[in-house]
Amino acid sequence: MQDQLKALLDKARTELSATKIRADFEAAKARYVGPNGSLTAFMKQMGSLPKEQKPIVGKLINEAKTTLTGLLENALRAIESNELAAQLGPEIDPTLPSPDALAGTYHPLTLVREEMCRILAKAGFNVVEGPEVETEFYCFDALNTPADHPARNEQDTFYFPAATRFGNVSRKVADEKYLLRTHTSSVQIRTMLKGPPPIRIVSPGRVYRRDTTDATHSANFHQLECLYVDKNVTVRDLKALLDYIFASLLGKDTKTRFRPHYFGYTEPSFEVDLSARHLPKVNKEWIEIGGCGMVDPTVFDAVGYDSSVWTGYAFGMGLERLAMLLYGIDDIRYFYQNDLRFLRQFA
Amino acid sequence: MKISLSWLNDYVDLNGIATDEISRAITFLGLEVEAVINTGAPQFNNVVVGRILTRDKHPNADKLSLCTVDVGPAGGVKTIVCGAPNCDAGNLVPVALPGAILPGNFEIKQSKIRGQSSDGMMCSSKELALEGGDHAGLMILATPATETPPALGTPINDILPPGDIVFDIEVTPNRPDCLSHIGIARELSAWFKKPLRYPEIKYDPGNTRAPFAAFAARPDLLESIRVDAPEMCPLYTATVITGIKIGPSPEWMQRRLLAAGMRPISNIVDISNYVMLEYGQPTHAFDAKKIGGHKLIIRPANEGEKIITLDEKERALSSRMLVIADAEKPLVIAGVMGGENSGIDDTTTDIILEAASFARSLIRWTSRRLGLSSDSSYRYERGVDPHMLDEATRRAISLILELCGGQVAGATHKAGGDVPWQREVQVTASFVNERVGFEIPVAEQRAALEALELRITREDKNAPGGPAWTVAIPSWRNDLDRPIDLVEEVLRVYGTEKIPPAPVLAPTIIGNDAPIVLFNREVSAYLVGQGFNECVNYTLRSKREVETWVSQAAGAELALLNPFTEDQSHLRPTLVLGLLETLKLNQSRGVPASRLFETGRVFIERDGQNFECVSVSFIIAENDLDRAWLKREPADFYTTKRLVETLAGIGGIDIARQPVKAPGGAFFGWQEGQSAIIGDIAHGWTARLGLINLAMVRSLGIEGKVYGGTLSILSERVKTVSDRRRYQPITMHPAALRDIALVVDEKLPAGDAQKTLAKHARATLPKTFALEAANIFDVYQGKGLPEGKKSLAFSLVYRAPDRTLTDDEVNTAFAKLQEILAKETDWQIRK
Repeated sequence: MQDQLKALLDKARTELSATKIRADFEAAKARYVGPNGSLTAFMKQMGSLPKEQKPIVGKLINEAKTTLTGLLENALRAIESNELAAQLGPEIDPTLPSPDALAGTYHPLTLVREEMCRILAKAGFNVVEGPEVETEFYCFDALNTPADHPARNEQDTFYFPAATRFGNVSRKVADEKYLLRTHTSSVQIRTMLKGPPPIRIVSPGRVYRRDTTDATHSANFHQLECLYVDKNVTVRDLKALLDYIFASLLGKDTKTRFRPHYFGYTEPSFEVDLSARHLPKVNKEWIEIGGCGMVDPTVFDAVGYDSSVWTGYAFGMGLERLAMLLYGIDDIRYFYQNDLRFLRQFA
Repeated sequence: MKISLSWLNDYVDLNGIATDEISRAITFLGLEVEAVINTGAPQFNNVVVGRILTRDKHPNADKLSLCTVDVGPAGGVKTIVCGAPNCDAGNLVPVALPGAILPGNFEIKQSKIRGQSSDGMMCSSKELALEGGDHAGLMILATPATETPPALGTPINDILPPGDIVFDIEVTPNRPDCLSHIGIARELSAWFKKPLRYPEIKYDPGNTRAPFAAFAARPDLLESIRVDAPEMCPLYTATVITGIKIGPSPEWMQRRLLAAGMRPISNIVDISNYVMLEYGQPTHAFDAKKIGGHKLIIRPANEGEKIITLDEKERALSSRMLVIADAEKPLVIAGVMGGENSGIDDTTTDIILEAASFARSLIRWTSRRLGLSSDSSYRYERGVDPHMLDEATRRAISLILELCGGQVAGATHKAGGDVPWQREVQVTASFVNERVGFEIPVAEQRAALEALELRITREDKNAPGGPAWTVAIPSWRNDLDRPIDLVEEVLRVYGTEKIPPAPVLAPTIIGNDAPIVLFNREVSAYLVGQGFNECVNYTLRSKREVETWVSQAAGAELALLNPFTEDQSHLRPTLVLGLLETLKLNQSRGVPASRLFETGRVFIERDGQNFECVSVSFIIAENDLDRAWLKREPADFYTTKRLVETLAGIGGIDIARQPVKAPGGAFFGWQEGQSAIIGDIAHGWTARLGLINLAMVRSLGIEGKVYGGTLSILSERVKTVSDRRRYQPITMHPAALRDIALVVDEKLPAGDAQKTLAKHARATLPKTFALEAANIFDVYQGKGLPEGKKSLAFSLVYRAPDRTLTDDEVNTAFAKLQEILAKETDWQIRK
């Protein structure tokens, strides 16, 4: 009996080690421990053995069964492991590049605009939008720019034919001409006409000048403009805001200075220079970056604010110019060509 | 305008103040300094005065001479090879000795020229970079005939005329008074706290002493003047001066005119220009003998009337323009330019000097209409102070009498009167401080005003917020008429660099960014997350593009009145045009580009009206350039559908519930059968998506298929989802699934079939459970199906919120559904 069991185990060992797939394994398993299996046959013989032999034989059979179970488990584990390996496919080459699309990118003008809006949000400015097609009232009249002002003539401003109608751009004066806004200041007027002060807004957006396109000029460009209206707003507050903006944007050592200037819609008016020698391609001590001033009382009159009560400041700048300074870009046209080699640099 | 420093010094003493300081002062007074030019010679080393002793022909070169030159103590006699035609013996010339560096970084060395050694170079005025220098020959400093020649060896800078500093200043439109040397001097006198000196005017009609007195009138030269349009020409004066001698103006005057950018012509013309640059008042001189009928008439031009202006061009005039005419013909286009026929020439002896005041709008219109701008029109259209006219005229007369001889014949003819001028503005010191936000001492405020000749006529020291001042505004400061204007004057002179730093004070104004801003931010973030590159393209497109890609009507309605170029004449109707252009540019440069997007405004024409819309568009290009070692599934219509649905969702639009139109007919730009249109701008928004018209894409020179999507929303209708979402309970009970395949007409849109199926399925349900979804999981057409039919397979998801459904109840419902479908539709259920 002992020899028979040993022979059975030897046979099982040989067979199972050759079994590679699950079906063969199940068949082999049935041959040994199934209802008609060879080990099962030994166990069935137990009943017919004399009483005194039972413990000895039982022990032998049990030992054989333990061994066989171990063999089966090993064989099964090997097969399962083979099955998983089969799912994996060949080994990868981790040095090959991913064929999937690169991450998307924001345009540098968007990045600069959003950064400015974040900086201004901390000082309580909300972002507003206004139409790009405007009317003479919002773009000029209300901003103290009289009808014969050079900026309004057809050499410099794009107009639409008198018959053209814009269904969703409101006119203040019947039959006034539609035009493409020359600055985002028109949004100031629309905002102020909507409700009473105090107001603190920033309006970024696209503006148009009838101009030749070259390295520094483009048929349309983008401005960003701030307006704050409240009681007792001062020149010093305006300077403080600009110091804050540019220190946030360019670092603590950035200085700004005000040069008196003239704009019809502010009084006093200033041009703003900033000193930031650490920027790329800046070789002057002071660079002009925008215009600003205290809101002219005539502008308040035009929107029905009492100019003896309310004061305010406005500040505007060109986004392309700012982006050119920040990134060291020397031609405005790059922004509008969208060469991917350009766009991907700012991600 | 160009302002000469030496000239300024006549009116305000700026000696001893560095040029940089003056430049900075001008800048901080509010006038931009565009350039500072030194008109003098550069500082030279080793360039000295030398005398040519001998001149011989160069033995080896026809065109060269071999000279000996004595440079005195600077090195004695030198041998110099020279190519100039005028290197004659006896002349004194500038000699650059070895070691000298001439303009252009040209270093002079001892050298050999055609075998002859040369110890230096004799120079032309151009080689020394002198103003107006030429290259015709050597600069002759003296000839043998010169009585007191400079000493040999003198450094050249010692004998060259001293240079001048010229500031090129951009004057803002509100300050026409600064278009003159006196105007700039006045500003600088305020800044540097130095007195302003006006020129001495020797002529005075009341004066009885020759030559600065008026003599008998000469009606034979000028009988009368008449102004027919006093509202356009409120004041006109004409003074007859006889017996003058035309010649060049003195050198000092010529130098100043040159420094200011004007060419000297003759004494009379130069004086007229000089006074304009000094006072800002244009004047004009007629040759008296050329005035027909001895009358000057200031009248509207006749429509189409012609005049040949001084620039030798014939100009056709309009009746909205004004001319100065004699009895027969127009002589001058008022305020803009004189005519050829009446000007000064070498034979002129008697002149009529005009000074006038014209309406700004008249000159601006005339100048623009004729495309003709002059120093005179430039000043008139910005505003010339009529109250300075008399003084400037007398200044010009004084200079004429002094420099050209002659005498004034009779009193000045005058038409129109002085426009009265009186303006006072009240301001208090505390108002200034409140507006600037810091303290400017009262004494400084007062000093600033007075330095600008803003006289304080009354001071109330005890007024609230005092002192309170009544300030008299001088006639040349028409830009000042409110207290806030005086705040600016005080701050300018006090110095904007002294504005103290401060914290940003931001009392809370609670608000949100506008919906358009939020929408743009969110859609951009989504598309960037999907691997798209954001682009920015121009708004203006060509008519052809608009017509080809949208419609004839859009081509008519979106046109600008005054486009600058033909290819930028129309508003963009879609962002896709720009994106295709971007794609093309990248392809042509060999740069892989596939996923592009843009946000921005577009303009949609609808029934003859345009609508400004907020828009977002994207394109996905097949890209042969971007050859990857492992191919990915290409994009298709359904890629664009998911993207557009998500973008619409960000704008609060549930696009999935909207009818999808398969486009046909005049659906330009998009490929029929491969694209869709959803929504309508008349209802607030519209979307297009799918394959962009293959042939049109190909016509742009773009390789491969391009898919795209665009969503446009009326700008006032943009909103983002901000409602707080309500939680919907989720059930733990399993769903029961039943599959059904329907054979339908191949033309039936799957979406319609789905809706009908779901409707019937819901109708067959008891109230105790629900149909959660009817998902399409297979679309089949071909073998095994009749011609013209397709099979749509749906998985119906049934669920009860509170229990597990039994097979029986689901089977009952499913069987009922099949009965209804058989009855209500012509669909076959595929077994």
